[in-house]
Amino acid sequence: MDRLKVLSGHVISRNFREWQIGHNPTAANNSPEDIIIVSALRTPIGKAKRGSFKDTYPDDLLAAVFKAVIADVNVSPSDIGDICIGNVGDSRAAATARFAQFYSGIPETVPIFTTNRQCSSGLQAVLNVAGSIRNGVCNVGLAGGFESMTLQNNNTKDINPRVFEVEKARDCLIPMGITSENVAKRFGVSRLKQDQFSVESQRRASEAQKNGLFKAEIVPVTTTIKDKDGNEQTITVTKDDGIRPGTTLEGLGKLRPAFQENGTTTAGNSSQVSDGAAAVLLATRSEVAKRGWPVLGVLKSFAVCGCPPDIMGIGPAVAIPVALKKAGLSVNDIDIFEINEAFASQALYCVEKLGIDPVKVNPKGGAIALGHPLGCTGSRQIATLLHELKRRRKRSYGVVSMCIGTGMGAAAVFEYPGM
Amino acid sequence: MNLSFKTNSRHGYSVKFSPYFPHRIACATSQYYGIAGCGTLFILDTVGDQIIVVQTFDWKEGLFDVTWAENNENIVISASGDGTLQIWDINQPKGPLRVLAEHTKEVNSIDWSQTRDENLLLSGSWDGTIKLWDIFQERSLSTYKGHDNIVYSVNWSPRLPSCFASGSGDQTVRVWDARKHNVPATVIPAHQAEILTCDWSKYDENIIISGGVDGIIRCWDIRKTGCCLLELLGHQYAVRRIKTSPFVRNVIASCSYDFSVRIWDLTSGHQLQMIEHHTEFVYGLDWNLHIPGQIADCSWDEFVRIYQPIACLPAS
Repeated sequence: MDRLKVLSGHVISRNFREWQIGHNPTAANNSPEDIIIVSALRTPIGKAKRGSFKDTYPDDLLAAVFKAVIADVNVSPSDIGDICIGNVGDSRAAATARFAQFYSGIPETVPIFTTNRQCSSGLQAVLNVAGSIRNGVCNVGLAGGFESMTLQNNNTKDINPRVFEVEKARDCLIPMGITSENVAKRFGVSRLKQDQFSVESQRRASEAQKNGLFKAEIVPVTTTIKDKDGNEQTITVTKDDGIRPGTTLEGLGKLRPAFQENGTTTAGNSSQVSDGAAAVLLATRSEVAKRGWPVLGVLKSFAVCGCPPDIMGIGPAVAIPVALKKAGLSVNDIDIFEINEAFASQALYCVEKLGIDPVKVNPKGGAIALGHPLGCTGSRQIATLLHELKRRRKRSYGVVSMCIGTGMGAAAVFEYPGM
Repeated sequence: MNLSFKTNSRHGYSVKFSPYFPHRIACATSQYYGIAGCGTLFILDTVGDQIIVVQTFDWKEGLFDVTWAENNENIVISASGDGTLQIWDINQPKGPLRVLAEHTKEVNSIDWSQTRDENLLLSGSWDGTIKLWDIFQERSLSTYKGHDNIVYSVNWSPRLPSCFASGSGDQTVRVWDARKHNVPATVIPAHQAEILTCDWSKYDENIIISGGVDGIIRCWDIRKTGCCLLELLGHQYAVRRIKTSPFVRNVIASCSYDFSVRIWDLTSGHQLQMIEHHTEFVYGLDWNLHIPGQIADCSWDEFVRIYQPIACLPAS
């Protein structure tokens, strides 16, 4: 190391430092206004329609994570200044979220709203709350997401016929599986590579599950489930349903394409249809210091960008570089990328396009193994990312990113301060 | 009392009082401000109103820190820019008894264990590691990794056995148990700037004081690191070294790149006195363990000074 450089680094007057902090919001300097993630927890993820939560209402899942984050740092529920929850498919999401608020003992004085940016809703909700904090609405806010794909019904009945006259609008109606086929075809992502990626996702997830690496992020949920004769039974769910240890390339190779004849996208190399919820508690750094809360993560930057609807899966490849640039970081500075595996095709494309070391991508597996409860996923990824960075102990950066139906990508950069 | 000694064409990096003799100090210096060139270790005695040279040792690289052995009054150890530690006997002018070479970069800090009968040495390096040594063994006993930047300061707890603290360019102070490798017991994100120094209270085993490039001094309780107990503002540039008083519970001294030495009262959070007798960065600072209130400091202006600040005069 160059001694002159090190020594000149010491000779910064306090006035200059203050000037620097004031003029460069992305510099590594901490500021009392930084948005801190204090707690991030999720339910186990259930397989939709036949998994652990097939008979559980989504408000019950959401209430479970609300209670868990409140207990995690012992925040008084009335101190929460605003709540934003991501959801995609619930036709009365705002009411569902409000129900969950009351089940979990958060008083009526605390306001709540929901947000829908499709698959990034769980991340968008966190950014909405960060925005509320930055706008001076509150100092402590709660975000999260939920989805019951068991209850989801895809209704495209009442669509304006004009949609079919405008190419880009029409492209928004392309089924997600077909957008995956488009990405695979256009960028040459072979079936074999997609299946290899999926085997690896399953392997990492089952390895992580076996080693208890999800324990820190999962809130066990006690609920009731009906057997095939309709008898109710109380169960406590502690693990994700979708992880299949022993998934092999041969096994996946036998699956038939799910969306297109001669296609490459199968049930085995796509994300699973799931039920789940996650919650994230945020506050300013000064509030965190005042309350003596732990710093689980620091929000460094966020970007959301549009891309062609017919290849919506490339979204992370568009959004990640923008978020990194805002944070003043490069791909190599990041220890973990949580890139949502909507489909192996698009996740692989993004990893290769950005030149990310595959070891850094979804080290505990992704949506192919864990499942993808749409509105929950972004918050789920934050919990997965920050608890893994924490487990590794050192100061590091991580990225949460996903593609978004109708053609977008979102990405956020977080810092774990080290311990 | 206010005595001076000029370390001609050698720039002061560290000064330490002997734990055995009230009149003796060791001063580690470097040529060319420590950026290039060699280093010299001075052993100096106060005789009457003069500071005289007892011994000098030259080393081929700059010397950045020095510590006295607690089990032998003649042994002194220096830390060098070439990543080595030198063990010197002040009666043997020829050369070091032993050179410990393991660090891959500059060694910035060394400290001899404060626990009786435990003759262990710590070294903190620009290579980001801390090493534990028994000076009679060639190889280090342990290496502590975790800091992801320069380790500027290592300090044994004067009260908790086998416990030590480190301050780093990675903006954290870490507290370690020497018996548990590589797992800091506590990590304090103490400053939003490089941390150049930390020291333990000699009266309260849970209190650590840190100083950094932000010019701020902060006091921490290692049991509750969420927020600092006290913040001392005054230094205009980086705080290079902090030393807690061995005689007065709530008094500390600090030296800085702003050329000043300051004496602080932790009870009130007030600066008791500012001493501006240097014309360059003040790097070295120590309290005399025998004479209450006496301080030695050294600076890049080539002067070592031994004095008693008015604020530290014992009440008569």
